[in-house]
Amino acid sequence: MATEVSDASAETEGQSRMASVWETFEENRFSYLLIMPTLVFLVLLMWIPFLRGVWMTLYEWPFGGSPTWIGLENYASLLEWKPFYTAFKATLWFSLTTAFQLLVALVAALSVREISRFTKAITGIFLLAYTVPPLVTGTIWAYLLAPDLGPFFTLLTEWGVLSETIYWGTNGSASMAVITFVTTWTFWPFMFLILSASLQNIDEELYESAQIYGANRLQTFWNVTLPHMKSAILVAVSIRLIWNLTKVSQVLQLTNGGPGYDTSVLAVLLYRFAYGRGQMGVAYTVGLVLFVVTIGFVFVFIREFEKASEEATA
Amino acid sequence: MSTGSSLGLGDVEIGDVWTRFMTYVVLTFLVMVNLVPFLFIISVSFTPPEAFFGDPSLVPANPTLEAWTKGFADLRDNLVNSAIIATGTAVISMAITIPGAYAFARKRFYGKKVGFYAIIVAMMFPYILLVIPVMDIWNSTGLYNTIPGMWIAYQIFVTPFAIWILRDFFQKLPQDLEEAAQVYGCTQFSAFVRVILPLAAPGIVAVGFLAFLTGWNDFLFSNLLTTGVGPVPAVPVLYGTIGGGSGERVYWGKLMAETLIIGAPPTVLYLFARNYLENAFAVK
Amino acid sequence: MSGNTSNTAPSSDSTDDPVRNRQRDSAGADESHVRVEQIRKTFNDGSVVACEDVNIDIDEGEFVVLVGPSGCGKTTTLRCIAGLEQPDDGRIVVDGDDVTDAKPKDRNLAFVFQSIALFPHMTVRRNIRFGLDMNTDLPDEEKDRRVEDVAETLGIDGMLDRKPKALSGGQQQRVSLGRAMVMEPDAFLLDEPFSALDANLRDQMRVEVKQIQRELNKPMVFVTHDQEEAMTLGDKIVVMDDGNVQQIGTPHEIYNDPTNLFVADFIGSPSPNLLDCTVVEDGGELRLRNAAFEVSVTDEQAAVLRERVGDRVVLGVRPEYLALNDAETNGAFTANVDVVEPLGDRDAVHLSADGQSLSAVTPQGRVGRRTDEVAVEMEIERAWLFETDGTRLV
Ligand SMILES: Nc1ncnc2c1ncn2[C@@H]1O[C@H](COP(=O)(O)OP(=O)(O)OP(=O)(O)O)[C@@H](O)[C@H]1O
Ligand SMILES: [Mg+2]
Repeated sequence: MATEVSDASAETEGQSRMASVWETFEENRFSYLLIMPTLVFLVLLMWIPFLRGVWMTLYEWPFGGSPTWIGLENYASLLEWKPFYTAFKATLWFSLTTAFQLLVALVAALSVREISRFTKAITGIFLLAYTVPPLVTGTIWAYLLAPDLGPFFTLLTEWGVLSETIYWGTNGSASMAVITFVTTWTFWPFMFLILSASLQNIDEELYESAQIYGANRLQTFWNVTLPHMKSAILVAVSIRLIWNLTKVSQVLQLTNGGPGYDTSVLAVLLYRFAYGRGQMGVAYTVGLVLFVVTIGFVFVFIREFEKASEEATA
Repeated sequence: MSTGSSLGLGDVEIGDVWTRFMTYVVLTFLVMVNLVPFLFIISVSFTPPEAFFGDPSLVPANPTLEAWTKGFADLRDNLVNSAIIATGTAVISMAITIPGAYAFARKRFYGKKVGFYAIIVAMMFPYILLVIPVMDIWNSTGLYNTIPGMWIAYQIFVTPFAIWILRDFFQKLPQDLEEAAQVYGCTQFSAFVRVILPLAAPGIVAVGFLAFLTGWNDFLFSNLLTTGVGPVPAVPVLYGTIGGGSGERVYWGKLMAETLIIGAPPTVLYLFARNYLENAFAVK
Repeated sequence: MSGNTSNTAPSSDSTDDPVRNRQRDSAGADESHVRVEQIRKTFNDGSVVACEDVNIDIDEGEFVVLVGPSGCGKTTTLRCIAGLEQPDDGRIVVDGDDVTDAKPKDRNLAFVFQSIALFPHMTVRRNIRFGLDMNTDLPDEEKDRRVEDVAETLGIDGMLDRKPKALSGGQQQRVSLGRAMVMEPDAFLLDEPFSALDANLRDQMRVEVKQIQRELNKPMVFVTHDQEEAMTLGDKIVVMDDGNVQQIGTPHEIYNDPTNLFVADFIGSPSPNLLDCTVVEDGGELRLRNAAFEVSVTDEQAAVLRERVGDRVVLGVRPEYLALNDAETNGAFTANVDVVEPLGDRDAVHLSADGQSLSAVTPQGRVGRRTDEVAVEMEIERAWLFETDGTRLV
């Protein structure tokens, strides 16, 4: 060993550098072996397809057919196309569902913490909507909210709350409200799961000491509960913000993106281009816009959240 | 579970009573909103087709099993496909993510931080973007319309999330365990298998459940990566009946029975996995 | 730290002197059981040097204690010996075999972790048996017999079928020791095994560990940051600081004859008085002068200081070697009494004189609670002198 060391020092800089890189690899070989599958999948399934998709936007690319190079044509035509802006606006409105989900989940998590019995049953019922496929819950709501035969409007008109049923499918804003509601209903339990898990982890002693120092409920919430849930909220909102914007099944079932393009949020628009028309290049162009929008959302959200929580603690 | 914010019985105040009352109101409301739709559906699934256009009522007059038997007969093959796809997704995802999460949680190695951030960023990635290139790549590699194709595709959804949850789990285990095992005769690998894996079982169950859920519930890939000629899972079939607008009169009773049939397996699994889930989602 | 006084440490050890000396005599340069040679270990691409130039010989049956402040590299050194860390440089030799590149499992060393690290999903029995199950083909009865023997020695035989969670901290610690003992390893490595225990239990476990080590007559390397623990346990003490070995020696050598300022300061409680002084010459006699006092030095000290008149040096003297009297005697100086701290049979007296803080140790009750001033007399022949950079002068 000792002689080896002196040999190594006699080597040139570059060689010994290579040797040390090799040594770190040798030392951590087991670790690299462990993460290899993950990394391979990450590269093969995410980055390569993503980059290939970007490349596809420069082509007219029919599904299964042969692509033709058209440069930035896809982008130009998308930007000139009126419904694209309708879809864009719909996406912004639709993203409000994340805020609603957070609100409901927060209220539910805090309420469940307050009670001591039936918590298992109640959380079980909450989670029901999340465990079954969104398409199933979408189907259920499509039935419940069907203007002519669904029980929701039938009962409301019967009870005299409404004079006649609402054909929401033909009204852009009403359709928007319906898909936002159903999405919120379906996915808030996910946030609930994360938030209540983090609530559960708050040390009881923190509450007790807050009480001893005379904090009331609201003060305790601001000073103990909320700061503790900060990272959970951050994670939950970021994940849902993106995942909500990429869900298509319920929108397709309920409104099919209509009337017109009024509820064609970008993900649905992408789907319509890809599946309805087989225009993969355009579809991916829409996807890139969606990508930028979500990144922007998450970025703004994280920044504002950090700022707000800094002010709260200051 | 203790309430954390109410003192002993001696100090009941108006504020406390009010909060308590509001808590019950809120919870009752949320439970109703979540439960009533399912109750309606159960009722509808037993309603005979001809009795359908009367007044909606929670207890059908002449209950029939017709919708269920028909729905089940129609979906049988697809349910089998769904089960194979979801189970395979779960198994593959565990094979990939357990070692990775373990290394990220408990090993020191060069590039660990960067690697982990790459995975967290991947979790934030809007997956629908990948549908287009994946469709195209699958089409040209023969994975399109195949069950292995679905297995692999679902890893896109599952891998980052699973790593994120599992890493946390491995990190929470007591320190030095695998080194103790190594000193007493294990290799790095056997220390992992004999000591760490059994301890991480709850996290693994949670992740397995989530992966299964993904494979079973997903619509996007199952619809885009299969056609009528391949192994079609249950979810797109349900979509075809309602969203496809086949022109026929919809037999709502059967449709609702189908939704319940498709929704049942994940719900049952959830009941088994629920104790592990809460733990798995505790964000630090 | 327990209420024991600091000088119990060396004195309790002195009863073992014959044993130790016999072993020392029999151990030649190359027969030592575990040898650490020139170990160097860095982290984060060399930016953190955890230990450097560490050389330790551990003889058959010898109890070696690694002691030093937090972060000085004790654990790292121990982990290098165990093979849990690969040293950047240097060799580890066990029983004459170079094991530097061997896997931990192939070194036949037992490691007891600071964090105890019992396997939570296994019973105490399975935990103790673990090493035997992994490493040996002994028949089950033999394994069980060994486990039960060890459990009996450690007083945990009634708990073999419990899970670690159902044991107290001290019991868990014993299981962790048992897991090591059952292996009959070539050497034991213990990393702060008692840091989680309360003072009484710790004292008790110390005695037990020392007894066990005597019985097994295997080398043991014991890491602690508690100098008192080090003094009570070690046949040989290795004092480390900042990744480097500062001194290796018997408890007496370390205590009486520290090689540098760090060791002097670190070992002993209360800490020695370390006083900045200037060397002055007064009518041919060399004296050390300080704001508070002036003392003449011994001939031996004078020989070293002769060339250094006018220099600053650090005078170190243990609190035991300050005598406190009521009236000023020759060569003494007066100091104010700040606090008297009872240590059991003795008192620690904290003093100040002209802005200098000093401490002294006196027999119990010598200085009354209400005494304001005392005359301090220093046994200069017991004092050490250091350069201002910490190296020992004499
Ligand atoms: N895995 C590591 N990565 C980076 N630095 C490390 C690592 N392990 C130890 N170090 C650093 O090496 C130095 C020595 O650490 P070591 O654990 O050996 O100290 P110690 O003497 O055992 O301290 P303590 O008494 O607190 O246990 C410390 O500065 C530490 O921060
Ligand atoms: Mg340590």
